Amino acid sequence: MLSVAFIQAWIEAGMEAPMLIAIRATECLFALSLVIQTLEYVRMGKVTADHAFWSWSLQRADIPNAPIQALLDLLYQPRVYQLHLWLRLAAAAALAVYGASLPLMVFLFAGNLLILIRWRGAFNGGSDFLTLVVLTGLLIAQVVGALGHVQLGWQAGFWYIAIQAVTSYFMSGAVKLLRSEWRNGSALTIFLNGAIYGPLSATHPLRHPWLAMVCSWSFIVWEILFPVSLLDPRLAAVFCAVAAFFHFLVFWFFGLNRFFWAWLCSFPAIIWCSAQLSARWTSVI
Amino acid sequence: MTEAFLAFYFLLLVATLVIKTPIIKGPWLFLLRAFFPNWKFFHAVGYVPHLYARSSVQLATGELQWTDWVLIYPRRVRRLSHLLHNPDTNIGLAQQNMVDHFWADLHDLPEGADPRALVSYQMMQRLSDQVLRARDLNFTHRQFELRMVLDGPSEPVDTHVMMTSPVETSC
Repeated sequence: MLSVAFIQAWIEAGMEAPMLIAIRATECLFALSLVIQTLEYVRMGKVTADHAFWSWSLQRADIPNAPIQALLDLLYQPRVYQLHLWLRLAAAAALAVYGASLPLMVFLFAGNLLILIRWRGAFNGGSDFLTLVVLTGLLIAQVVGALGHVQLGWQAGFWYIAIQAVTSYFMSGAVKLLRSEWRNGSALTIFLNGAIYGPLSATHPLRHPWLAMVCSWSFIVWEILFPVSLLDPRLAAVFCAVAAFFHFLVFWFFGLNRFFWAWLCSFPAIIWCSAQLSARWTSVI
Repeated sequence: MTEAFLAFYFLLLVATLVIKTPIIKGPWLFLLRAFFPNWKFFHAVGYVPHLYARSSVQLATGELQWTDWVLIYPRRVRRLSHLLHNPDTNIGLAQQNMVDHFWADLHDLPEGADPRALVSYQMMQRLSDQVLRARDLNFTHRQFELRMVLDGPSEPVDTHVMMTSPVETSC
């Protein structure tokens, strides 16, 4: 009963102040995604220690500039690095509770760059890229807002996030369409066999070539059509719901939990931009 | 105007898939590649680098007694709770990414250059040591190999060795 009233209140608030709802949804989802990522980094102290595989004493040779190398030596000392991670957790909590601010976003942006460099440019590939996209969108909103154009700042930030997220689906589908192994479904089986949770069982349904092909084509078509989601917010909501299911499957088969949360953060921006574009059309008609 | 811009943008994206452009490389571009995402995930099936390692103990005669080659490839057990907290799996994925980087570094190395100076080579040494030590604490020497494996839907179709390290004492 309470939850129905709560959801209704959110829907009404969304109708009255859609930008505000999109801002808070993005901030809260992004804060959650950051907390999940950061808690995982905190648990990785053992593999980044001096004698370990991901030791900074080895990786520092990748830094081409001596003064920057010296600065990073300081920042990647185990205790300083751990302190940074705890501060990042606090910043994520502040983002969820108080919302974005310029100092907070500058700290999170700079800290994110440090973490990326610590992991040779990316720790988890695509999820790092989209995390940076959302972070950049939030930073754009704050920088433009600090110049006195708060609404314009959020518009620019949301469009940046939405375009990058829609591009990610579109490109991912388009490159698959160009590959015969994706069109005949064999690529899906091959990638699933190489996944971290082990090869598909001998009796797994996706071992049937026709089912693998149907699944491949479903995802390719859905990904390529994603730009259509910008035409109508209801359409955008459906595309985002399918996307959430898709990312859950990617997590289930490939273990990519960060992808799920990273892309979820972009959904409020996609739906908001779609509503804005659709409203322009309605006013023209 | 916005609609025209969006249409032009997605046409441009299609053009980038068809028209090949030179690849720009550099150490900073590599470290900051998150700013230039290409969003091409799992797009092509082809040869995948796999890391193999083996260890040995030195016998009283001075001979080295080798184990079989071990595939160093992350495999984990799936749990729903991993959606919220999954450090071990993510480290495994990062480890395999590192093997891919090692392959790319070897591929870009000029003919005749010594790969041992590569950071990625040294990281492979550490990774091999870590895995081999978990199997045998007392090994004295180690060797690793990068093999390129072409997978088919049910089994590997082809394998070839890209690089075999010299026999080295463990780190």
